[in-house]
Amino acid sequence: MTISGSPRSGTATAAVTRLALRQVSRGALAVTAVAAGTTAIVVAGYQGTVGGALDAAALAALAENPAIRTLFGEPVALDTAGGFTVWRTGTVLAVLLSVWGLLTTTRVTRGEEESGRWDLLLAGRLTVPAVLGRHLVVLAAAVVLAGTTVGVVLTAAGTPSAGALRYAAGLTLVGLFAVSLALLAAQVMPTRAGASGATLAVLGVGLLARMVGDGIAALGWLRWLSPYGLLALTGAYHDDRLLPLLVLSAAALVPAVAAMALAGRRDLRAGLVTAPAGRPPRRWLLGTVEGFAARRLLRPLAGWSVGIGTYFLLIGLLTVSMTRFLSDNPRFAELAGQAGFAELGSVRGYTATMFALLAAPIGLFAAIRLAEFVAAETDGRLTSLYAQPVSRTRLLAAETLATLAGVAVLLTVAAVTTWLGAYPMDARLPLTAALAGTWNVLPIVLLCLGAGLLAVGWLPRATAAIGALPAVGGFLLQVIADSADLPDQVVAISPFAHLAAVPAESPNWPAALVMTAIAMVAAALGLLNHRRRDLLG
Amino acid sequence: MQPPAIRTSQLTKRYGPLFALDDLDLTVAAGEVFGFLGPNGAGKSTAIRLLLGLARPTAGRAWIFGIDAADVATAHRRIAYVPADVTLWPQLTGAEILELLGATGPGVDRAYRDELVARFELDLSKPARAYSTGNRQKVALVAAFATRAPLLVLDEPTSGLDPLMEREFRRAVAEVRDSGRTVFLSSHQLAEVEAVCDRVGILRAGRLVDVATMPELRRLRRTEVLVRFAGPAPDLTGVEGVDGVQVDGPALRFTLTGPPGPAMRALAAADVTTLTMREPTLEEIFLDYYGESGR
Repeated sequence: MTISGSPRSGTATAAVTRLALRQVSRGALAVTAVAAGTTAIVVAGYQGTVGGALDAAALAALAENPAIRTLFGEPVALDTAGGFTVWRTGTVLAVLLSVWGLLTTTRVTRGEEESGRWDLLLAGRLTVPAVLGRHLVVLAAAVVLAGTTVGVVLTAAGTPSAGALRYAAGLTLVGLFAVSLALLAAQVMPTRAGASGATLAVLGVGLLARMVGDGIAALGWLRWLSPYGLLALTGAYHDDRLLPLLVLSAAALVPAVAAMALAGRRDLRAGLVTAPAGRPPRRWLLGTVEGFAARRLLRPLAGWSVGIGTYFLLIGLLTVSMTRFLSDNPRFAELAGQAGFAELGSVRGYTATMFALLAAPIGLFAAIRLAEFVAAETDGRLTSLYAQPVSRTRLLAAETLATLAGVAVLLTVAAVTTWLGAYPMDARLPLTAALAGTWNVLPIVLLCLGAGLLAVGWLPRATAAIGALPAVGGFLLQVIADSADLPDQVVAISPFAHLAAVPAESPNWPAALVMTAIAMVAAALGLLNHRRRDLLG
Repeated sequence: MQPPAIRTSQLTKRYGPLFALDDLDLTVAAGEVFGFLGPNGAGKSTAIRLLLGLARPTAGRAWIFGIDAADVATAHRRIAYVPADVTLWPQLTGAEILELLGATGPGVDRAYRDELVARFELDLSKPARAYSTGNRQKVALVAAFATRAPLLVLDEPTSGLDPLMEREFRRAVAEVRDSGRTVFLSSHQLAEVEAVCDRVGILRAGRLVDVATMPELRRLRRTEVLVRFAGPAPDLTGVEGVDGVQVDGPALRFTLTGPPGPAMRALAAADVTTLTMREPTLEEIFLDYYGESGR
């Protein structure tokens, strides 16, 4: 018979395991579903179309093109369903799984610690390493679940099991590496945000090393230093190498062991590196609510600018190479056309397609800023400002204006970095054309902002989802519609259907005006009810 | 004639079927220090959120110095507020938060603010994430006391303060009163309310059950006395202010209301070894005075 509360450590650790499971399970299932679903769609799609459309010469051209190699990795074994799926989705899924793994790890460990919820947990018999250990096991199981499911999908689709096994193992190990590195960072860094940032930086450099290593043959060795590079070097469905997997295993194990060793040596709610106890005040932008909204924006905006700028610098650098490749190999242009990317054969057509993609991340940026505003309302950070002699409308308008300024910065950063990348390659892309192309997506971003403001007023807890809907949902609808032949009325719902391919074409002004008008009506309705509703929290 | 600092008329807030606040009619005169008492969940914070326009009333209205509380941009020029649960921007230091609240608020007396920072022993160089609950409260209190707002609304402001800081808090409230400003103080702590308030409103289950001046409230106060003695038990029958006498071997318990003189004289006859007096908590007074019903 088990007596509840009996002094056995088994029941205590089991309770911690259940706690970790509750916090991880929902995200783990979502990530697994996305990974398995994407894999299934691509592997099934290959059997339907791509397999028949590619011949040996086309594949050789693909494999030699540094632009293709940089973006997607070295194309190997594309003549098999498994090889094509790994090439097309491997890096994306590895990034998804590792970023989810790192964010979840810092959230359920240092995040819970910083909120003070672990104080109660650790007041009992359990030590910090014991609690961390249970969380590590649960997080590792979540990553293994996602990786294994992808392997099962590939095997079920009829691809060779040896390749599926190597790929699933590689994907899992990349996820484990991220979890284990994040756990180590969570012991060392002074805050949860610092731990997330440090791990994210390592993964970002790893991705860059993979891209450079794949694009430039002489620097191929760089891939041995990157988790994503090691996944590519495994060569699933091609040469099925084992050594990269062993290196990846060691890379995943060492930080976890170090984290467990260091866990007992630090204070709760602090890392081994302690934050400075104090600093002189920085008084800039604290004088008005508008200034304060701008000040809170600066740090996240810097991060978004670096991410978007790096990506579009790469797009600029690869523009000439990609367009030449696509105009030389019309089969790929056709395939891309089926997936919704038309006119890829010219510099302006290619960049126009890439600029249209920009609406998704920048729309997401706008939605996240408004969701963060609601989060500050909910947890009480905004209470002291709502109690000031400032109307609610002015506070929300200040946040909206700051977000708009951030959107303008991001659109400009994308244009300037694309131009900077294209310039040395003689791509004939003037800065004005690049600016026209990026600013062309502004109406979709405004739709996101309008939808987000509507949500802030009427359904504040759903602000992120509703705000992201026009850009992210519209983009997905557009992609699905092009592949699946949806009726025109359905396609027309997506704002992307009304976007002209600027700078290849001139802007679709009527559509831009209609979208802007819809956004303004939604924003006005949102502001109206935000003024009247009860504040959260 | 100056309008009252706070006036509410049939102020009501309902969350679904639950009346968080039911028909509150309250007037707080300018220059008064008003205590707002009540057990947890009585609706004190709801009432304050309605006064500040952070939540909208289901029915009724509230005015701050004659201005509709819903017109926050105007009404808040006269209010400084300390919430019950102070959350600060974690990356800002204390000095930066005071700067922000001072610049966006109803005007600030910087010299007095610096003096308060010293008196509350507040380290302003720390980022807010490093502050304890008490220190977060101190930041909010310093920001509120240093404003020139004629009305201070304080929602359980001392729950995280140590006794020394509690003393500073009472001094600061006294200084506010001396400058002719108004304080609306919601609290659990009877001793604090007794020390600083002129008048008290008692809220239970969303309803205002009593509004009393301090002398009236003192009549509610019953001190619990425990006496240990050697020899025969002292006789307290009929002694003024003594009630609920229980003899338990060599110990005697009773409650005392009003001045202790008569009870002390009655005890002088016995061989008392120890005498312990304990003030009952507010909760006990409520249960004693109003009974369990209506909670």
